[in-house]
Formats: sequence, C-alpha cells, structure tokens
Amino acid sequence: MSNLAYARPEAPAPNQRPHIEIVATRAQRRTRPRAVYAVVTIGSLFLIFAAQLVLSIVVSQGAYQIDDLQSQQKALLRTQGALDEQFNLLSSTQHLAQNAATLGMVPNGSPRFLNLATGAVVGAPGTIDPTGCGGNCGLVANSLLTGVPLATQVAPKAQTTPQISAAGNAAPPATGNTALPATVDTLPAPVTH
Amino acid sequence: MKTRRSRRRISFAVVIAFVIVGMFMVRLVDIQVVEAASLNAASYNKRAQSLITYGTRGAIVDANGAVLADSVDRFDITASPRIVLKSDSVTLAADLAKIAAITKQDPAALMATLTASPDSDFAYLDKGVTLDVYKAVDKLDIPWIYFERRPGRTYPNGAVAGNLVGFIGTDGPQAGLELTQDKCLKSTNGSATYEKAEDGTRLPGSQVTSNDPKDGGTLQLTIDRDLQWYVQQRIAQTYQQLAATWATAVVIRIKDGHLMTVADYPSVDPNNVDGVPVTALGSLAFSTPYEPGSTMKALTAASLIDAGVATPLSQVTAPSQLELSDGSYINDAEEHGEVNYTLAGAVVESSNIAVSLFSRDLSAQKRHDYMTAFGLNSQTEVGFNGESDGDVHPANEWDERTNLAVQFGQGMTATSVQMASVYQTLGNGGVRMPVTLVAGCKHADGTVTDLPPTEGKRVVSASAAKQTLQILEQVVTEGFASADLQIPGYRVAAKSGTAQVADGQGGYGDASVISFAGVAPADDPQYAVVVTAGIPTSMYSSGAIASTFRDVMAQVLTTFRVTPSTQPAVNIPLYW
Repeated sequence: MSNLAYARPEAPAPNQRPHIEIVATRAQRRTRPRAVYAVVTIGSLFLIFAAQLVLSIVVSQGAYQIDDLQSQQKALLRTQGALDEQFNLLSSTQHLAQNAATLGMVPNGSPRFLNLATGAVVGAPGTIDPTGCGGNCGLVANSLLTGVPLATQVAPKAQTTPQISAAGNAAPPATGNTALPATVDTLPAPVTH
Repeated sequence: MKTRRSRRRISFAVVIAFVIVGMFMVRLVDIQVVEAASLNAASYNKRAQSLITYGTRGAIVDANGAVLADSVDRFDITASPRIVLKSDSVTLAADLAKIAAITKQDPAALMATLTASPDSDFAYLDKGVTLDVYKAVDKLDIPWIYFERRPGRTYPNGAVAGNLVGFIGTDGPQAGLELTQDKCLKSTNGSATYEKAEDGTRLPGSQVTSNDPKDGGTLQLTIDRDLQWYVQQRIAQTYQQLAATWATAVVIRIKDGHLMTVADYPSVDPNNVDGVPVTALGSLAFSTPYEPGSTMKALTAASLIDAGVATPLSQVTAPSQLELSDGSYINDAEEHGEVNYTLAGAVVESSNIAVSLFSRDLSAQKRHDYMTAFGLNSQTEVGFNGESDGDVHPANEWDERTNLAVQFGQGMTATSVQMASVYQTLGNGGVRMPVTLVAGCKHADGTVTDLPPTEGKRVVSASAAKQTLQILEQVVTEGFASADLQIPGYRVAAKSGTAQVADGQGGYGDASVISFAGVAPADDPQYAVVVTAGIPTSMYSSGAIASTFRDVMAQVLTTFRVTPSTQPAVNIPLYW
C-alpha cells in the first residue's frame, strides 16, 4: 500500500483554504449500529433461553403434578372399591335379615297392605310365620359375613344409648297423641319422588 | 525455499484437518442417518415403560340392581429372594415378623418361602390380600416388597342365587352365568407405553401409545334377591324337616315368563365353593329332571278341554283298579270302590284311574303334541349351564301303560323350571312366554344387548286355561291339603304331585318326589310357583310340602304387592 502512494501524482495545491471539519471515519460510522444489533440479538437469545427454561420447568412441574394426581386418583378409586365392597356386604340380605331377627322383628305370614289412598286395610290378618326367619335366619350361607358383627353386638357410644332408649320410650305416646290420623286424608304418606 | 516449505507444511495441515473432519462427517452420517432408526429404538426401549391397564369384569345384578357378583381389587405381595437375602440379612427377620403380623401368617413360613429357592427372583409372600392389608404392609416401607394387582371376584350375598350366578376359579369362570354369560361379563385389558424419567415420572410430552382397557358389561337378571333369599331359606327348612335329598323352588312371572326366583337346596356359596358337594354347584331346578307326578294332571285337563273332548263337568266312573291288557293295574293313591268323578273331581282328588279314562278320548300323538307345546322335552329359552331337556318319548314309543301314565306324570320327566313354565302358560290364558333369566347385558358404552325374547306362543285356548285354573282352585278350597294352602284374601289355584322315583332297574323304589305347583291370584294370575323336594322315603305325601308352597306364594304376593282377590272362587262339583 505504501508503495502505491508514491506512484500517485501530488494533488495541486488549493488556492483557497478549504472548509475543514472532523468527521467520523467510515469504520467508526459502521461500528456504532453494530453494537445495538449485537445487544438486541444476544439479549433476545438470553430471553429465549430463559423462556424456554421457565417453560420446561413449568411443564415438568406439571408432569409431576399429573403423576401425583393420577396416583391419588388410583388410590381413591381403590378406596371407593373397598368401601363399595363393604357396603354391598353389609346390605346383603342375610346380614339385614339376621339383624332384623335379633332386633325382634318377625315376618307376617300373610300379605297385608294399607292402601294410603283409601285408608283401607287389604288382606286378612295372618299368624306370625313360625317357620320364617323368626326362627333361624342362617340357612342361606354367606361365608363373607363370618366375623361381621350384628347391629346389637356393636357397642354403642356411651352418650347415645340413653338418648335412643329415651326417644324410643317417648316417641310412641307422642305420635299417638299428635299424629294419629283423624281422617283418611291425614294419613302419613311417605314422600316419594 | 522458505515459502515453499511453509506452503507444504500448511497444505499438509489442511489435508490432515480435512481427513479428521471427513472422519467425523462419516461417523455423523452413520449415526444420524444410517443407524438412526435402530439407535432411536434402542434408546426408546431404555426410557419407555410399558404397562398393562386392567379392565374390570362386569357385575351381575338382580332385577333391582342389587349386586350379586362384583369385581374387587386384591393384591399379591411379592419379593425377590435373591436380592432380599443378599441385601437385607440384618433386619430380614424383623421385617418378616412385621408383615406376618398384618397378613396373619407365620413368620417362619414366610422365611421358608424366601429361602426355599434363594437364587430365584420371584416369590409370593401372600396372595390376594385386601386393600386394608395392602395399605398396612405398604406403610411398613420395606424396600424389597413389591405389590401386584390381582383382580378378584366377590359375591356379597353369598349363597343367595349362588346356584345361578356360578363362580370363578383360578382358571376363569367355572359354573352358572359366570360361565355361560362370560361374553357379556369379561373385560379386555389394555396397554400403555410412556417414557419415564429416572424416578419413574412420565416425561412430559413423551410418546404414549395405548389401547384402552374395556370393562365388561353388567349382567342384569330377572331374579329378585330378597325373594330369592326367602325362598332359599324356606326350602332349606323344608329340606331339614323332611330329611330330603334335594329341594327346589321356582317363581315365575306369568305375564312375561321372567323367573323371579330359582332356588335350590343344597346350593353353593360362591365365596366358599369347597363348602358344598359337587352336585350342589349347579342349579338342580334346571339340570335335574324328575317324574313330576300329579302336577301334570293340570296339563292333561287343559289339553282335554282345549281339544274339546272334555269339560270340567265331564263324567267318568272310576273302578277301584284299572286293568291293562298285560294284566297289570293302574291304581289310585288310596283304595276306593267305584266313584263317579267329574273331570274336576279327577284332578282335585288326583285319581290316576279317572284321568287315564278321560285321556283315552284323545289320541296319544295329540296329547304328546300338547306336552311339547307346553315346553316339555326341550330346554327352556334360558339355556342354563347343564340344563336338561327333560324326557317325553315319542308317542309311538309309548306302551299301553306309559300311554296313560304320562298323563299323571309318570314315565316322562321334566325339570322344575319346565313345570313352572307349564303353570305360567295356564296362568297366562294359554299363552306360553319364553322363560327368561337374563334381562339384559348393559355394556360399558351404554348399549344393552341380550334382551330377552318377548314373543309368546298360544298352547291352549284362553277358555281352556281359565277352566283348568277353576279346577285347580278346588284343590285349595276343598282338597286334602286345603288348610295348609289357603292365603287369606287371595284365590290360589294349585296342584299337588307325589311321584315315585324309578330305581333304575325298571321298577320304582322307596324314594319319591313331592311337589306343589300353582298360580295366584286365581282370578287374575300374576305369579306361578313350583316347590319340589326329593325325599328318600315314601313316608310323606305332597301334603308335607303344601305349607312351603303356601309360604312361598304368600311371600311372592307380599313382595310384589299383588292386590287381593275381589270375587270368591266358583264351586265346581267334583262328583256326579
């Protein structure tokens, strides 16, 4: 480069004094906007990385939450199944019949109905069925009920026993006085849906 | 010289660099393109976790939805002896003691299980434990225990309808509806695959391929659980009183032929199959035909009236014995002189002689056709596991004695359910409805299949059926067991049967089958009941089972709230 400089003819000396001012070199001019671009680019790269990181954390957090909820659901379904099983066993006919018998209930040997619409009793009185469940209810086996206590064998809580018996003693005269139907219309009909 | 050497050096370095880069390129292409598929698969297998998702076998429920059979979760406790014995020698005994305390096992037995094959990777510590036990053992936090889910089956009502429901053994369904309706009940297991992290968590966004499990359908029966229980209870009492060898009872709804109850005694508690003899695992009412005896006289009367050869007031004079051409006799249960029976009297007094005389008025083939039209000699529409056809020989094979005996229920056989169907037909104005035990199969997607057939078939005219019931009513108002049969407020039509049992050597032994069959209310028949007991002696007549029939019928009327009769029974003269 320096050799070439000599080869050039010298510029003629200017007659007038030229206007001189300091200008930024081309290189300088080019550098300034480049820095802005770099900052923006790198900044947005960092932003993207950060966003991706946050997203990924959130997603994997969600995966753990799903996992947790799914195992919760599984456990709850199992519990529900176990409770259903217990409910079905306790509501089995054998269990209910045995309970009814130990509470002193005996089946009527003949069909007898109270017609709520007319108040009429239909069917004739029968004798207490001596061969019904009043005697022996246990002829239809259910091995699952082995060890399941009857209602009368479950020890009631100390507080509730007197209340129940008091209510049991008090209730019949109370209903006898107040709820005894004077006319057919006031018969206590069950609310059905 | 200087530049040439340096130029050579540079080009050498460039070549080396190119070679190295080239090698990497080749390897890169090899991995990324050539071997990509197999490598991906291999890595996926490392990350992927595949598991079976279980479908649930469907429940069996009664007509009101009460559960008779249900699927439950049970768990097996397993361990790897090889790993346990190596890693946990210090606390092993204590751990086993803790487990044994919960599962109520012997710790020494558990230890023996583990040490039996110390190199094995698998051993059951306990099988089929309930959720409570599972939770308690899980809480112990013993690291070497693994649980496996084992689908179980439970029958919350025990022996109630146990004869019908059947049971499931280790190899799947073994008896009853569990077996024959397996197509409805069975579930299909699914599978799922996902990629797991090191701690087992599913990787977010990982590929999941799955076949959804399919739950089995719910099988609804026509049986009423509570009635079934009562009837089983009642025939169990009868069984004990009579020292019987078996007893059955069938309750069928007249308008559509739906079975409300099919009770057998002895019968199986599906939860405890080993508790009963093998013969009690099925349903005797379907599988065991017997000579029904005089309950067949109702069918005979209906046939004769329908064919127009007799009316309830038709007359016959019964001698004390009816001599056949081979010199043998047809006798009545009680000896009598000459009696002038009407057809009604012949049925009510259950005279074999009088019924035989009436039967001669109708050809054997026609009488045979009536029997098959009533459903005899072929399985009912139920098609129960092991169901019998019963047996009515073709009319041209009947000898002189059989020709008459079939009309009072000897020399042919029928099952309890077939007899119930005969009385259903009589109660339904002569139209036989298909016998139905399964009301439908409700699938997991809500569709219902296996709906029962509803088309009836006329067997005898409505008038013939009605007149037959009027005759049968006289059994309850005037017959020998009338005191045991009457239900206050209701008109009941019934017929007794006492049949000898063939001893297998061409004759009849001591054993007999006693039964009662009938419908109520007679003026508007709703339900038919057949109770039957096989007894080893001829000590008892059908009167011994009359009160059982009455109690069952009374319970049926109560359960289904049948309104009492409004008109008194019509009297029909039995003699002339």
